[in-house]
Amino acid sequence: MGWGPRSLARHPLRTALSLAGIAVAAAMLLDMVMLSGGLERSFADLMLTRGFQIRVTPAGTLPFDADATIAGAGGLRDTLRADPRVAVAGAVLGASLHARRGDSVVTLFAYGVEPEAQGIYQLESGRDLAPGDSAGLLLSQPAAAILHARPGDQVTLAASLDPGTAGARAERTFVVRGMVRWLYDYRGQRSIGLPLATLQAMTGRAAEDRVSLLMVKVRPGADAGLVARSFRERHPRVAANSVADLVAAFRVRMLYFRQLAWILGTVSLLVTILLVTTLLTITVNERLGEIVTLRAIGVSRAHVVRQVMAEGLALTLLGALLGAALGLVTARYLDAILTSFPGLPAAFSFFVPRPDAIALAGAALLVTGTLAGIYPAWRAAGAPIAATLRAEAT
Amino acid sequence: MLLALLVAAQLPRVAIERRLAAEAALRVGDTVALASTADSAGTRAVVGAVFEPPADPAAVLRREYRVRLHLPDLAGLLGEPDRVDRFGVALRPGVSPDSAASRLNALAFGFRAYPSKAIAAESSRTFLVVSRFHRAIAVISIVASAVFLLCIMLLKVEERRADAAVMRFVGVRRRTIFGALLLEAALVALLGSLLGTGIAFGAGALTNLYYQRLFETRLVFSLITPSIVAFSVALSLALGLAAGALAAARLTRTRPMVLWGRG
Amino acid sequence: MSVVLADGVTRDYRMSGGVVHALRGVTLAVEPGEYVAIAGPSGSGKSTLLQLLGGIDAPTSGHVEIEGTRLDALGDRALTRLRLLRLGFIFQRFHLLPVLTALENVELPMAEAGTPRGERRERARALLDYVGLLERASHRPVELSGGEMQRVAIARALANRPALVLADEPTGELDAATGAGILALFRRLSADGTTLVVVTHDERLAAEAGRVVHMLDGRLRD
Repeated sequence: MGWGPRSLARHPLRTALSLAGIAVAAAMLLDMVMLSGGLERSFADLMLTRGFQIRVTPAGTLPFDADATIAGAGGLRDTLRADPRVAVAGAVLGASLHARRGDSVVTLFAYGVEPEAQGIYQLESGRDLAPGDSAGLLLSQPAAAILHARPGDQVTLAASLDPGTAGARAERTFVVRGMVRWLYDYRGQRSIGLPLATLQAMTGRAAEDRVSLLMVKVRPGADAGLVARSFRERHPRVAANSVADLVAAFRVRMLYFRQLAWILGTVSLLVTILLVTTLLTITVNERLGEIVTLRAIGVSRAHVVRQVMAEGLALTLLGALLGAALGLVTARYLDAILTSFPGLPAAFSFFVPRPDAIALAGAALLVTGTLAGIYPAWRAAGAPIAATLRAEAT
Repeated sequence: MLLALLVAAQLPRVAIERRLAAEAALRVGDTVALASTADSAGTRAVVGAVFEPPADPAAVLRREYRVRLHLPDLAGLLGEPDRVDRFGVALRPGVSPDSAASRLNALAFGFRAYPSKAIAAESSRTFLVVSRFHRAIAVISIVASAVFLLCIMLLKVEERRADAAVMRFVGVRRRTIFGALLLEAALVALLGSLLGTGIAFGAGALTNLYYQRLFETRLVFSLITPSIVAFSVALSLALGLAAGALAAARLTRTRPMVLWGRG
Repeated sequence: MSVVLADGVTRDYRMSGGVVHALRGVTLAVEPGEYVAIAGPSGSGKSTLLQLLGGIDAPTSGHVEIEGTRLDALGDRALTRLRLLRLGFIFQRFHLLPVLTALENVELPMAEAGTPRGERRERARALLDYVGLLERASHRPVELSGGEMQRVAIARALANRPALVLADEPTGELDAATGAGILALFRRLSADGTTLVVVTHDERLAAEAGRVVHMLDGRLRD
């Protein structure tokens, strides 16, 4: 007859406060579950935005982690393309270029790219670089803003500046072809893109065919991890990492957040247990006369246990529903704080609202709510009928 | 032997950090090969010293190894003998860093001068973000604690309904009952605050022990200052008293017969 | 066969000051259809005897039988089941579930016994009609007077057609006028053949009984 859960309506204020407490704990739990799983998922999703599953970088480094470069990129690229499991292999070079703006000089981050095999930007307007277009230039929105340039405009860039002569070296003029979103840029990063060969020539890296990174897409059905491993074994002077390898490396760097998520998540569950157990124990004590009367008229111990635990479960479930809504709001607030880390790709998110995270948090809360009801239910079912009735009568 | 010693004396010296020395089993006097890229031959150098780098929060997660060379040796190794990343400038006493930086920037082409304070602030941005995050978590925890506290206080006070009714029946004033409940709440809040402070110190010590071992660093991860203790105790006392006062007020405002269950 | 038989039962309680002998060798048999009142001063052991007869407490020595079944031979589950199906209880403080309506309170023992929903609802309505409260079926206990609550409790006690109804001070919390109404109800129950054992201070209720048993200091006086 559900008298257990319906008992929550007897004391509205008490129930409302308990629900509020459980809701806040549930919100915290949901946020921590999102944080612990979201970091790696967001990172992996970011890495796979354009489907490139492998990164080849100088040995001991991660992509754009250091200024180191790989020599002989052409040979490595050919080796990769010769592998029947590889669909696309493209190289990227990163460097700083400078542009004049009136009397001042603006420093920009330049990506030297191979447009036919790139996994590093998405075209937003205008057109992409064409093969052989050595004067073409792509801009991010922040770069376009600082240069006051649009598709069709000319921009002069220098590879280095000579403070002695107050002049620039290796200057070239480019025409802006299109506006792009650089997938791994942080917010406000002023990035430009030009053909790889052009950037190599400007920065003196053409002779050794140096690049910062090679990106590889494997064919459907091929195992990216195996491809990376076999390449690594044949070329020990470079690091070939699949997205799984990169996620593992990333996991180490995000260790603090994962541990914090576990600790706070556990504390949230403990708070829920404590609150539900305390509430149920006190309400059972208050209703002991009713409960032993039910036992006296023939209601079984199992029925009493079921009803008390159902009461705890109902409380936890309602609190969890409220907490889910609250948790999604607080997650956005916390995510806004953490994504302001300097140098963090703008597309990255710490709190990712995934259905499996919500389900996991919900399941954990329901188990907790069930466990929290055990002690008060045991008390209720085990209360001595005669002694309690005598005590009630006095 | 003499020739080997003479050759060794001509080689550049490199100082390596203690962690690298331990993991690569290197000692002072050992010869190592240094290269700027994995695919170049590089140059030989002699380990001249083993040092302990200063505890740097920005580097603790990156797990890089640090080495030090004389500037000309490193520049030569990188193939750019006249290139540096930055200059450090020490000013004469009385010269303001801000004004010196402004003057340098007016003359600058291809570089910028910053007061060290500005660099420190910029490189601390990561930790400011972490601080803001911790503060946000703390606010959420305080809100949860306040609700929880109010709920528990209400429950505990409500358990005493019959006692309160009897006291009112025999003529004890509301004020007296309120005061007694408030005093009880204050004692519980005080004991709870002291217990919580103890737990915080313990947890902080464990946190430092764990992360210092994990990252092999002397950095302090959890720091509890007297002001933090004072603030926390004051806040928990205030929340406990407020919760107790609300619960007690609710009880004493209820008619005795209703408390007794006959109203 | 007696409906209930208490054979030489004693009940002792260990308190901090020593042992209290609440019952000292009481033997009582109640036959089908009897209306027995147990009277006596406070502390005479009336309620203790009632609790032993109803199987909600166990004697220190002696035994109790319900329709020939010894209660000390039953485990907790079987004893609970026996109370559900063969006994009905009415208490001084009613002890209705406040979150259930009058109808649901009466249905509760039938639901526990596994009676199908339609059947138990119909019987619950019939019982409320029997006690004169059908029009209050959808009201919760907080909306009922003391007398009305006790009537609902009586209806609940009759839910599973018990062989024996045990009542502990059923008019103890009621004023004289309301108590008179309960009196009339018990009279009707007895006339309809219900076996009743009532513990009471109320002389009027005792006077209605076919047999009055007096207790003093844990013993039967007659």
